Amino acid sequence: MDNMRPIVEMRDITKTYGSTRALRGVDFTVMRGEVHALLGRNGAGKSTLVSAMSGFRPADAGTIRIADTEITANGHSYAAAIRNDIAHVQQTPQLFNLLTVAENLFLENPIVRRKFGIVSHKQMVCRAAELLGKWNMDIQPDALVAELSAGSRQLLEIMKALNRGVPVMILDEPTAALSNAEKKLLFEQVKVLQTAGVSFIYISHHLDEIFEVADTVTILRDGLVVKAREPVSGLNVETIANLMMGEKTVRSVREEHTNYQAPALLQAKDIRIDQFSEAGIDFQIRPGEIVALAGPVGSGKEALAMILAGQQKPASGEITSPRGAFPTIGLVPTDRHASGYVGMLGVRENITIGGLDVLAGRFGFINQVKEAKHVRRLTHQTNVISSSLEQAVSQLSGGNQQKVVFARALCRDPGVVIALSPTRGVDVGAKEQLYALLRDLATKGLGVIVVSDEEDEIEQLANRVVIVFQERIVDELVGQYTMKDLILRMEGVI
Amino acid sequence: MNVEKISNATTDRRKSSGQSRFSAFANAFVADGFTMYPVLLLLVIVGAIIAPRFATTVNLVNILEQVSVLGLTTIGLTFVVLIGRLDLSLEGIVGFAPMFAAIALVPVSAGGLGTELPGWAGLIVALGTAGLIGYFNGFMVVKVGLNPFISTLGLLVLLRGGILIISNGRSIYSPGKALTYLGSAKLLEIPVSVLVFAVVAIVVGLVFKYHQYGRALYAIGGNEEAARAAGINVDRVIWSTFVFAALLAGLAGVLMTGRLDSAVTTQGQGIIFSAFAAAVIGGVSLGGGRGTIVGVVSGVLLIGVINNLLTLAQVPSFYVQASTGAVIIVAAVLTTLASQRSSGVRTRT
Repeated sequence: MDNMRPIVEMRDITKTYGSTRALRGVDFTVMRGEVHALLGRNGAGKSTLVSAMSGFRPADAGTIRIADTEITANGHSYAAAIRNDIAHVQQTPQLFNLLTVAENLFLENPIVRRKFGIVSHKQMVCRAAELLGKWNMDIQPDALVAELSAGSRQLLEIMKALNRGVPVMILDEPTAALSNAEKKLLFEQVKVLQTAGVSFIYISHHLDEIFEVADTVTILRDGLVVKAREPVSGLNVETIANLMMGEKTVRSVREEHTNYQAPALLQAKDIRIDQFSEAGIDFQIRPGEIVALAGPVGSGKEALAMILAGQQKPASGEITSPRGAFPTIGLVPTDRHASGYVGMLGVRENITIGGLDVLAGRFGFINQVKEAKHVRRLTHQTNVISSSLEQAVSQLSGGNQQKVVFARALCRDPGVVIALSPTRGVDVGAKEQLYALLRDLATKGLGVIVVSDEEDEIEQLANRVVIVFQERIVDELVGQYTMKDLILRMEGVI
Repeated sequence: MNVEKISNATTDRRKSSGQSRFSAFANAFVADGFTMYPVLLLLVIVGAIIAPRFATTVNLVNILEQVSVLGLTTIGLTFVVLIGRLDLSLEGIVGFAPMFAAIALVPVSAGGLGTELPGWAGLIVALGTAGLIGYFNGFMVVKVGLNPFISTLGLLVLLRGGILIISNGRSIYSPGKALTYLGSAKLLEIPVSVLVFAVVAIVVGLVFKYHQYGRALYAIGGNEEAARAAGINVDRVIWSTFVFAALLAGLAGVLMTGRLDSAVTTQGQGIIFSAFAAAVIGGVSLGGGRGTIVGVVSGVLLIGVINNLLTLAQVPSFYVQASTGAVIIVAAVLTTLASQRSSGVRTRT
């Protein structure tokens, strides 16, 4: 009888980030010993839902029951209450790089603790070796985690969580960094634990994995459940894609301004991102073209963009300009807080640092009349709204901060604009303004490279989509591609 | 959505203009580094009342002459601190650079190297030495990747020992007119050292505020990665700040040697602490990105005035030192509160 009762039961869960309603009343149940796949496009609410489940980011409202622990969510942290019932493996490993494998595996684990909290080193190494042997992993327990490959680190993280002996495990994109062999290892262990009664919530961008490992599927779209607890046998790629896509209200559509006659602005030949890259990348961008670089997390799309922007050195290969003079490149970095704007400086100063040498007059002093004119033109072009041009950028809204970063990137009149996650954490209104800006730049003959995880964004902007996977270009969409074409490629099906 | 935002912004603007011109003025007052000037004015007034000898031209010029060495060192330090680094070796440079110049000038009998360079070369040798040391500091931080605290601390101790080695532990007296001119001569009744300090302060102040180099400094100090993404050659700018800092410390050392008419082995000892104090009092954030020359000058003057007043009041020198420490803490609290109030941005002072 106990087996019929769900191990996880979530009712009417809501969660809001700023003005975005990430979850709008979601019900979700997981049975004992089930591998339950959670599907949905980027931003559909998958990660938010599992974070609410594990308490990593507490839900605003709703009830959660895991095993015998019941919680009524009110936005406050409840992670401690369910600590022994659930483990959450996140997309990027949360390990201590300067500790050894054994130390990482048994950190916080009472099994190796003796009197007065003293940790038995010998026992720890011994148990770690045993565990590694069970997983067929060829790693020394006393190796430093920093020395391991990305895949091994990811597996270690999963092992650490599994080792805690909890009845429910969340695996959020566990395979992004794994090789095929490592993937097989993981799936074997999942199957073993599943027969022992452990339940899994599994998120992945690769639909083929879902068919391989999952029993049940729940599909989310825009913070709502569109398909609950469907057996995986009753689904195929086609129906899943349709459910994930839904009927999107069209906001603005992409335009074609590519000048196919003119020579390319930038040409990359045989670029290897790092020494582990298996093949070179050829890439070019024409005037008036908007190209999107897409692919899973860790695929190398960001690195490729940074190499094209001249901010990172490739392991090999060269970038040239067929027109002779290398075009000026305006860069909008991924994370505007970390590397986009200077918070303590005002709007004017933030924009100007993008083109100090252009605005400098004799002896390198800034021509203030020219600066004021230039900044006014750029803030107008990018629609920056601030109380004054001296207002500190840290006080602006996310959308306006991002517009300032765009204005800075345009400060030197670039020939190519490279924008990474151009609208991350930006409200819908500002998003459309930025799309209009990028299209406007294309009409003026600039080349625009966008790196994005959002299908909508790519579909609304890009004339050409380059799919990057494992540091190579694996596919390309040109011209009249459809949303379904895009989703299937981004989910790694085709 | 968009219209709503614009109207919001305009009401904000109306509100702030209605709120009073005073707050805008106060913000600019703090941001431009004038925070400590009212305090300075107050001190001068109090000083004039309690110590009759304080408010005389002779005494005030004397204060300026005394602070010019500290002033140049602090301006040098500000280059490095603005980009969020620090340079402890400046203290060593204040002593080492003029000592090296002095032994290059004087004959062997007076403790020289025997090169007996002509007098005019003294300043070049001193500044050249300082510049090379700064270049080395920049190399260690940018290329080798050392934490500047460690690398410049090591160099400070090394230079202190170096001074004793090259001078054989003896001070060099009267190293020559050309080297001592800047620190001892007077022009129209004003000491040349004060003029040097004033000129450097004005030039550097203008560069910080209006030159592309100054803008790059603030950008790097505020967010190094953003500066890099904006296309600023961050490494080169960081490197250069160490060179400028060292050159100014070398110049400060030459002034000091001039005033004493000798290169003393203990020259400059302890000056780095006063320089940090003056910078912090003047509103320079040790986290980088914040600080003006106007503020730095106020910090330097404040330390000079307090020392002078305490000396005039015949307070024992031990108390002078302790009170400087107390002033640093009070001033740091004041500037942190003021900048937090005016901009809402937490500064690490």
